[in-house]
Formats: sequence, C-alpha cells, structure tokens
Amino acid sequence: MSEPVRFVSQKVDLDYKVVTSPVARRFDEQMRAGRITGHKCPECGLVYVPPKGFCPIDCVITDESNEVEVRDAGTLTSFTVITPIQYQGQEEKEEYVLANILLDGASGTIGQQRVEGIPHSEVRMGMRVKAVWGGDPNEGSRGWGLTGAIKHWEPSGEPDEPKEKYQEHVL
Amino acid sequence: MSSERVAVVGCGQTHHRKVRDDLSMAGLLREAAERALADAQMDWKDVDAVVIGKAPDPFEGIMMPEIYLADALGCAGKPIMRVHTAGSVGGSTAVVATHLVSSGVRERVLTIGFEKQSEGDTTWGLGGGRSGSVGAGGYFAPHMRAYIDRSGAPDYIGPAVAVKDRRNALKNPYAHLKLENLTIETVMESPYVWEPVRRLESCPTSDGAAAMVLTNEKGATEGAAWVHGTAIRSELGQFPGRDPVNPRGGRDCAADVYSQAGITDPFNEVDVAEIYVPFSWYEPMWLENLGFAAEGDGWKLVEKGVTDITGELPINVSGGVLSSNPIGASGMLRFLEVALQVRGLAGEHQIDGARTGVGHAYGGASQFFAMWVVRNEKP
Amino acid sequence: MRDVAVVSFAPSEPGLTGVEETETQLLFPVINEALAKIGITRKDIGFTCSASCDYLAGAPFAFVQTLEATGAWPPISESHVEMDGAWALYEAWVRLQHGDVDVALAFSSGICSRADIREVLSIQLDPYYLAPLWLDPLSFGRLQAEAVGQEPPTQAPAYTDAAAAVVLAAGDRARELVDRPAWIAGIDHRTDAHYPGVRDLSKSESARIAGQQAGVDKAPVDVAYLSAQYPHEGLILMDALGLTHGYGLATNPLMVSGLIQVGTAADAVIKGDANRSVGHASAGPCLQQNLVAVFEA
Repeated sequence: MSEPVRFVSQKVDLDYKVVTSPVARRFDEQMRAGRITGHKCPECGLVYVPPKGFCPIDCVITDESNEVEVRDAGTLTSFTVITPIQYQGQEEKEEYVLANILLDGASGTIGQQRVEGIPHSEVRMGMRVKAVWGGDPNEGSRGWGLTGAIKHWEPSGEPDEPKEKYQEHVL
Repeated sequence: MSSERVAVVGCGQTHHRKVRDDLSMAGLLREAAERALADAQMDWKDVDAVVIGKAPDPFEGIMMPEIYLADALGCAGKPIMRVHTAGSVGGSTAVVATHLVSSGVRERVLTIGFEKQSEGDTTWGLGGGRSGSVGAGGYFAPHMRAYIDRSGAPDYIGPAVAVKDRRNALKNPYAHLKLENLTIETVMESPYVWEPVRRLESCPTSDGAAAMVLTNEKGATEGAAWVHGTAIRSELGQFPGRDPVNPRGGRDCAADVYSQAGITDPFNEVDVAEIYVPFSWYEPMWLENLGFAAEGDGWKLVEKGVTDITGELPINVSGGVLSSNPIGASGMLRFLEVALQVRGLAGEHQIDGARTGVGHAYGGASQFFAMWVVRNEKP
Repeated sequence: MRDVAVVSFAPSEPGLTGVEETETQLLFPVINEALAKIGITRKDIGFTCSASCDYLAGAPFAFVQTLEATGAWPPISESHVEMDGAWALYEAWVRLQHGDVDVALAFSSGICSRADIREVLSIQLDPYYLAPLWLDPLSFGRLQAEAVGQEPPTQAPAYTDAAAAVVLAAGDRARELVDRPAWIAGIDHRTDAHYPGVRDLSKSESARIAGQQAGVDKAPVDVAYLSAQYPHEGLILMDALGLTHGYGLATNPLMVSGLIQVGTAADAVIKGDANRSVGHASAGPCLQQNLVAVFEA
C-alpha cells in the first residue's frame, strides 16, 4: 500500500528584472573604486550608509552633493551566528556570523555583514573590524546592502570599544 | 461625534498544527470563521463586512489571496478588505475591523487572520527567493543579544520563558506545540539556530487561522468582551540611533491605548496580557516596552514567576506565539485570547476573574505595533 | 456620519515605465506635492494609510520601504492595505469618522515594469483550480467581452509605474485647507465571487451595490472616472452605476490606477470643473471587486 498523496508540489517561476536606482548605482561605482560612501542630510547632519537618496527623518532629498566618504573600518555593535535554514535556492550550508557594524564616519550601522577570520565563539560586541576587499562586485548588488565588492569583515586588531560607543547602535 | 462602542461577540480559531493537510487554505479560514460565527450565534449572512489579514503574499505564493478567499468567506455582494502590516498584521487587522464598527460604517464585522505555512516557504519568501535569507530570528537575534548585554539578564531567562509558554500550551487545545516535560536544561541543550537563540526558544511554523466577530452595542450579546482602546504605531525601520530593543513606537502605542482605557498603572490594572513573543527574549523586552516593568527589569518578572499562569501578571497563558505561529493569525490570536479571558471562556488556561486584558502584536524590524484593551464591562 | 473631504491629490506623471527609482523615491515628490498644495507638512497628518503589493517588486515588505516617505519619526499612526490605493483612501475615510483625527494621508505606489504583470496576475487566482491554468488578465477580459457581446479585446492598457497621494480632512479643517473641498458624499466597496463560472459576467453586481450604497444615483453626475481597462468594462460599469459617460484607463499602473481615478474625480470638484463626480477602483479578474466614491462640492 502506498501512502495517499497529501501534497502536490507546484513551483511557480516568475522572472523579475532587478533595477538599481541611480543612487544605488553611484554607490556601487564608488564601491568598485574601493570607497564606501554615504549621504549626509543637509538638515540633521546624519550620515546614511548606504545612501538612500533622502533623509527619512527630515524627508529631504539628497544627492551626490551630499555624498561623504566613510572609513572601511568600524565597530561591531551586535551579531548573531546563523545556522542556515535549508530551502529551495539556499546556497548557505555552514554556520556563519552576521553582524551590524558602525563604520567610522557613518551615523548608523550597516546590517547583516559577514565577519570572518575569527572563531565564532570569540566574536563580541564592541570589536573593531575592517573590510576585506576583493570580492565579486557583481554579486549581491541588488541596490541594497554593501554589494559584493567587500568579501567580508575581519578583526582589525584595534582594542575593543567600550559599551557606550556601541550600545545605542544596535541597528 | 462620539464613537460606537464595539463588542467582541465571537471568537474562533483553528487547531493550529505544523501541517493542516486535511484542509485547503479556504477550509482553514472557514474552520476559524465558523467557530467565531457559532460563538456569536450568527450565520454567514449576518456579516456586513470582512477584514482579512496575513503576512507577505510570497509566504504562500499567492498574490492577494483574499481575492480567491472571498467565495469561501461568503463575501459575494459584501465588502472585504485586506490588511498587511508584517508580523503585527493580525493585530492591525482587528484594529481596522474595530474602526469599521466604531465609526458607525458597519454593524457586524468578521475579522480573520491566517497563514498556511505548510503550503509555502516562509524563509524563501522572506528572502524574495534568493539565497541567504536568514529568517526573522536571524534578523532579531542581534537585538536580543543587545538586550541581554544591556540588562545583564542571566542566560536562563530566555529558556525560562520558552518553558513557561510551552507549559501553558498544554492547557490550550488549539495550541500547536505540545512539549511535555520541558525544562530549562532541555531548552538550553537544544541547538542554536540564530545564536543567542536556540531552537526551543523559537516559534514553530504553523498552519492556522483566527477569527472574531465584532458588533456595535445594538448587536452585542450577553457575555461579550468590550473594546476599551485600540492603537497602532509605525516607525522607520532603520535610521541612526534607532533603538529596536525598546522601540519608541511600542512605547507610544502602549501609552495611547492605556490612555484610551484609563489605565495609569498597567502592572496593577491589567489582569492578563497576550504579547507577541516569537522568540523567548521578547517577553522581558516587551514587558519593559509596554510599561509593565521599568527598563532593565523585565527579566526579573520572568525570574520571579510573575508572568506565570499563577503569577501576578500572567503573560501568554495560551502558550503564545512560541507555541503556535500561523503568522498572519498570530497577532489576532493575542487579541482574541484576551477577549476570551475577559469573557471567562478560556477553558483550562482561564485566569480567574480576569476583567482587563491587553493584546499586543509587533512586526517588521520591530517597527509596526498594534494593541487593544478589552474588558468584561462596557466603556 | 462626519463630513470628510478629499482636499488634495497628486499623482506621478502619467505613463511612466522603466522607472529606475525605488517606490519610495517615486512617492516622495507626490506626497510632497499633495501636502504643499494645501500648505501643510507631514507633521499635520493624524492618520496614514498606505497601499502596495509585494508581488510587483518580487520581494516581501514593499510597505516597509515606502514608510520611509512618510517621515515616520517620531512614530506615526499608520496602516497598510495590500490593495489598490483607493482602499487606503477608504480606510482613511473610516478613520476620520471617529473625530479624534482631522487630517489623513492615503497613498499608493506600484512599479509594474520589472516583471511580466500578465504572468504575475495569474497567481492572484485560486491556487488550486485556476492558477494552474495560468489564466491571464487579457484572457479574462476576452471572456467577459464575449459575455456582453462585444468584440474581445486584443490588448490591455499598458501596465505602467506610478505613485499617488491624497489628503483627506474633516469638517472645518477641510474648509480651512481648500476653497472647494471634494466632500465624500458616499463611498462603498463590494466584491463578487471569485469564480467567473458562478457569476453573470455581463453584469457587475458588486459595482451596482457599491454605487447604490455610495448614492451615485441621488443626483446628476458631472464626470466619472472608472477603472475600466477595456471598452466592455466601461459599458458594464456604466450600466451598474447608471452612468451615461465615464473615462476609463489609458494606462494601468497597478495598485495606483484606482486611487488615480478616485483622486482625479475628487480633483475635478476641488478645481471647480465639476460639482458632483464619481471615482471608481477595481481589482481581481473580470471586475471582481469594486469601490465607488461620490464627491460633491
């Protein structure tokens, strides 16, 4: 006796064109040249990395004239070690670290950044990290995130920052 | 103008399970809706309007499923609206439904939230079909780590919440997870999924639906729950200095709804609360955010057993999101369970003499909030 | 009911396609314009309702992004419908009935140029029985044209990219903000059954009920803007609403079309081009779901 059929798999295939906005495109060009840029809001002075093309707080449009460069190093403010859930299309198989990082010169963190070159059990809040460039810039550039130009982040060896420096930058 | 009073006269939910392969999507909604209608002593034809909520459409792979569900929900010739506010959607759907009645626009509204996770893939949906989707837990884990770091809470607090909610679920016939003999040790031995959160500290994936019938005063039946306040708040998901651990949107939402209900001391004036805790550490975090505990003190209530079913402020006595998570229904279940409590109909997990209940849901990057206060008496 | 009016309306430039900006970037100028027209700012808004669709972008949480166009800090009272923006306007109208809020913003956005929308819309159907057939909107249009004895269309209006915003205000606040508020004399929405097989496709019962509830027939209508994609949809809707004339859709920016038709009808009253107008929005196969709003000077 065979089991009764309870599920029939119906896979729907829809194609979407990924369009990067002019702001994201400019950011990507800068990343390919090894520069991490943001937009500084002319009203509140906050520096958004990656740039959005506007300040969501003041609702002011920003453009290249508001562009500032930030350092490719910063402070890890919080993190998680992910055990990847397996689903159709998932390529991640091994555990990995995802961290929020406050770059030097930026007002807010960049989220979900890979940190490598350190045992997972030694990753900690307040740890200083630096970018490891040389990734494939065509990977992961969907108009958000930091594009693939940075492979991942690794400890910079500088002393850890105290709690006051990172605890207001969980996100 | 003054608003119409709103009564919760019908509550219905499915038996939430990992897979409800005995029912289609429409059948799942009807199981909850028919139970709510029966509770309200109503029939489909008595319903003026339907308000339906669910989480992102890519979770089941159907665009605007309410278009198809209109038939099963008896909507031909009637209005149906679809709400979507991420995880908070079950709560905000109930709020939209409440507004339809309190505004005087409709008299009898059926509101329903659902998710049939077994007929799709949530993690796939969250990633828009791309690799590297970390799921909600992966997104929230750094926030929970920050809470632990900031509050100095001992590591067993999260596991303690996981044990408490699963014990409560054993008393709730509708709950999905039925984990007997769970202890803090067994939770702590379960593997990390998104460290610092372990598998047993995370919500399950469930199929399920929740439905309520709301009426104006004219349509109210004996033993109804009365809505004393509703509030929603949205805040930007990410900007420099935003605090996802104790977000202002949640604080403002709570302050708004308490003020409508005349609550000045939530810890002492609320008899029972159902708050949205999909990962264990959110219980102490939201206890602080919603004003039940001072900042940094939420975990102490957990440690002292204050939030147990026998404690001074029972939280998630239904088993909560940690025991059943049909996402689009999860927020509505919080609202529904406190309505059941003040109606005295919660069965084995009833809190004796519960008069004031608070329902809460959150979503997105801890940026969408919905709450209500219900009582056994008219406002 | 409390007197509530549309006091401002701003759509993006008609016929946009291949837009490179994000939905949020599309929304910024239309929200700015809708507010600037009446001299208020985002801080004056007491309730916001947004509308968008995840399947246009092919990623979840379109509304999380578009929230960034609202200035939601400090946090705001906001909700979202996964429906055409006309239903966001409806929800805002309901919210304004309560008396504690006087000004509301409703907006929607949709970028259709990043996928084959005919294909995408076929997963809007019953997943068990209809979706596997990959019935697309043009096929449904042809089916319905046959039902009313009209030549089946060979083409649908182009799916385009758009954003639109309306500001609603109650009572005296509306009178302060604009000379001629477009008072919402009636607004209602209804659905028909989803299965085309159980409906009389030559008629729109849901549009008829919505029109009657909104009071379309209570007085003559100067102008009507209908979300009709094909000539036969225009005929069915005019019949259902008792109208002799109505403007249909030249292009179809999904999620925004209805809000644009309803907003344009309101704008005709605000501008003094009409004293009584009708706006209509639709969703689902063969005009399954319909919303009708009547505006009066």
